[in-house]
Amino acid sequence: MLHLLAQAEPFRSPTVDFHAFAPEIVLSVSIVVVLLVDLVFDERGKWATSSIAGIGLLAALVPVLTLAVDGADRSLFDGAYVVDNFALVMKALFLLSGYVTILISARYIAEGDYYEGEYYFMLLCSLLGMLVMGSARDLISIFVALELLSIPAYLLAGWRKRDLRGNEASLKYYLLGVFAAAVMLYGMSLIFGVTGSTILTEIGAALDGGEAPAPIVVVGILFIVIGFAFKVSAVPFHTWAPDTYEGAPTPITAYLSVASKAAGFVALLQLVFIGFLGRSDVWGPLFWVLAAITMTVGNLIALRQTNIVRMLAYSSVAQAGFMLAPFAVAGDIDVDRGGPLAAIPPVVTYLLIYAAMNLGAFAVVMVVARKTRSGELSSYGGLFEYAPGLAVLMTVFIFALAGIPPLGGWLAKFVVFRALLDAGTPAAIVLAVIAAVNSVISLFYYASVAREMWMRPVPDGDRAPIRIPASLGSALALAAAFTLLFGVSNVATRFGDLAIFGFLP
Amino acid sequence: MSEFLRAYLTVAVFGLAAGLLVAAMLGLGKLVQPSRPSRQKRINYESGVDPVGAGFGQSQVRYYIFALLFVMFDVEAVFIFPWAIGLESFGVFGLIEMAIFIVILALGLVYAWRKGVLRWA
Amino acid sequence: MVDTIVFVLAALVILSGALGVILARNPVHSALMLIMTLFGVAVVFVAQEAHFLAAVQVIVYAGAIVVLFLFVIMLLGVDQADSIETEPIGGQRPAAGVVALASVGLLVLLAVRAVQVSSGARSTSSALDGEGTNLEKLARVLFTDYLFAFEATSALLVIAVVGAVVLARKPAAEDVQDRKGVGALGRTRSGSGR
Repeated sequence: MLHLLAQAEPFRSPTVDFHAFAPEIVLSVSIVVVLLVDLVFDERGKWATSSIAGIGLLAALVPVLTLAVDGADRSLFDGAYVVDNFALVMKALFLLSGYVTILISARYIAEGDYYEGEYYFMLLCSLLGMLVMGSARDLISIFVALELLSIPAYLLAGWRKRDLRGNEASLKYYLLGVFAAAVMLYGMSLIFGVTGSTILTEIGAALDGGEAPAPIVVVGILFIVIGFAFKVSAVPFHTWAPDTYEGAPTPITAYLSVASKAAGFVALLQLVFIGFLGRSDVWGPLFWVLAAITMTVGNLIALRQTNIVRMLAYSSVAQAGFMLAPFAVAGDIDVDRGGPLAAIPPVVTYLLIYAAMNLGAFAVVMVVARKTRSGELSSYGGLFEYAPGLAVLMTVFIFALAGIPPLGGWLAKFVVFRALLDAGTPAAIVLAVIAAVNSVISLFYYASVAREMWMRPVPDGDRAPIRIPASLGSALALAAAFTLLFGVSNVATRFGDLAIFGFLP
Repeated sequence: MSEFLRAYLTVAVFGLAAGLLVAAMLGLGKLVQPSRPSRQKRINYESGVDPVGAGFGQSQVRYYIFALLFVMFDVEAVFIFPWAIGLESFGVFGLIEMAIFIVILALGLVYAWRKGVLRWA
Repeated sequence: MVDTIVFVLAALVILSGALGVILARNPVHSALMLIMTLFGVAVVFVAQEAHFLAAVQVIVYAGAIVVLFLFVIMLLGVDQADSIETEPIGGQRPAAGVVALASVGLLVLLAVRAVQVSSGARSTSSALDGEGTNLEKLARVLFTDYLFAFEATSALLVIAVVGAVVLARKPAAEDVQDRKGVGALGRTRSGSGR
């Protein structure tokens, strides 16, 4: 034993950059505080947990801002954990959408008498996983981050555990989620096997050299992309999404469709544009097929929905197709137009805008459900007559999702189309045409919500106004402000252009 | 044969010897014992209480939580082991790392304890 | 030579165990077959000189995880064999068969085409070269490069415990749950429990 120790080279403790880790540390501390409050005060402290969770998220935003002001790209643990502009933009998105989720959860969870302390504990843990995901530039970190963000989400989807639909939601999400994780892990092991490294930049360098045997690389990339295609609910791996969205508590539905989906895209961006950058011949066609069928199938099924939550679920599937489109053409973008990396800003811009408008739409759904207790499209009849403000807000979010100027969504679609046209290859043009047709199709079901609200009579004649709780009101205001701001200014594209990787192979 | 696998040859020989021994004893018994089977002799507990009902009985969900807590500390042990091997060399840094790890895990145990799932009432 | 024999034997154990898991009628037998597979994997780890991983494989997976599986099986009931004859969505099973066959074909092709890199021989990577034991090197990377993943593991375990307690606990206030709240906004479907 002793002589072994003597032989080994002396251990050097790694230098931990605590500033770089500060967002994660702040969030971890608030997770522990939430759990302790729940433990120590039991029933009496439950009301405080939502506030602590919200404050914790906002506090974690502070170091994100100081890191942004500082501006230096930081690389920890041999490049396994990187804090660059991309990571900071995504972390800010995760924290803000997490905060809005807490705002829309507060009344729902308190009134439903669900396990309140544990609910916020799970939500914060999931968000911690997302923060880690934003910086993870290593296969093991990405996998741990994925599990850390997914496992609480599986539980949260089934939080109404006495409800069969809640059980169904959780079970489907869980089974398909772990299956996808297993497929992805197999792909990761193949990639690790041929490149000999888990660090993405080193994988990128090894794959670019072309020494790695092609079949293994192809299958490895295929399996990893499929694994995350489940996470972002791309067709044909979307089948869990509608049932899970429907059965999960509505705030969790909003969370899954925004933050969880964004985390999947973050992982894809990092893997594809750092690890597999040189092999666009492999993943380009794969993403092309995924993008084309995702937006088409999502939109066509959304047309037939009569439940607004299911409609938004399929709409979010379709929106994921738009976000996948820039991946498909990245390899064809000329160097003088930015090269493959020019496909990153459109995706990030889309994610930011999509988060604002989708969270807003779900917030309206929650407010309306407080009165009607229903998610049916017909229950929105005549909403304008008794709640004009809400009807206007819902119209804003719905038309933003449809991509009508001057609301946020059009800019999101615009940057995607510009990326497709920048590539300019026949495949990219065809994809742009498919996307354009889909934009038109989506208008039909989005407009049907507006028609219901503005033109149809009130279904049961109950014109009592809807009282909006303060937390839901602030969530609505935040989402509406961002949706409008993103539409009329170039803030979102500025952030999209900012989000570049600090370290490339 | 590599040096390394030669070391495991002992294990294989030992296992083989154990198997042969058992086979020899049972085989010898088979040869010399008289065999007069009856229904009474073939039930699970020959001289005990007669079995009632099917073999399956639903277990309580409590067992699951205990098993999960066991897994949790099993994994903890797995991580502590490599740390303990190089305890001196990892120094204060390693100590803090492991302390954070154990404290977080302890939180889980305290949670289960406070919520009363450890009580077998 | 001996390496190859050990590998082939272990592979046979792994594969027959895996087939047993999916073919056994009784879920308890499936769980026991899984132990066989995990033991086979442990043997492969030993053949790769990864003793610690082999021990972990036996202690954590074959020991603890499978026990957890058995508890779940006993909780759900081995006798309640659900009928899997009915097919909820038409044509799904043939489609699943085609996809499964395609995947197997892909993997076989992979193994054949990639034979130059996957020889079955013991791997040598730079991380395992040099002085010191296997375990020391593992410890070194675990507590330096993968420090964050290591700490995150503890959070994952706590999440598992809290989640299990939430799912298993039955507080007095359970009955009022869902009565006051808005609940889900799903379609009302026959067979849903509200």
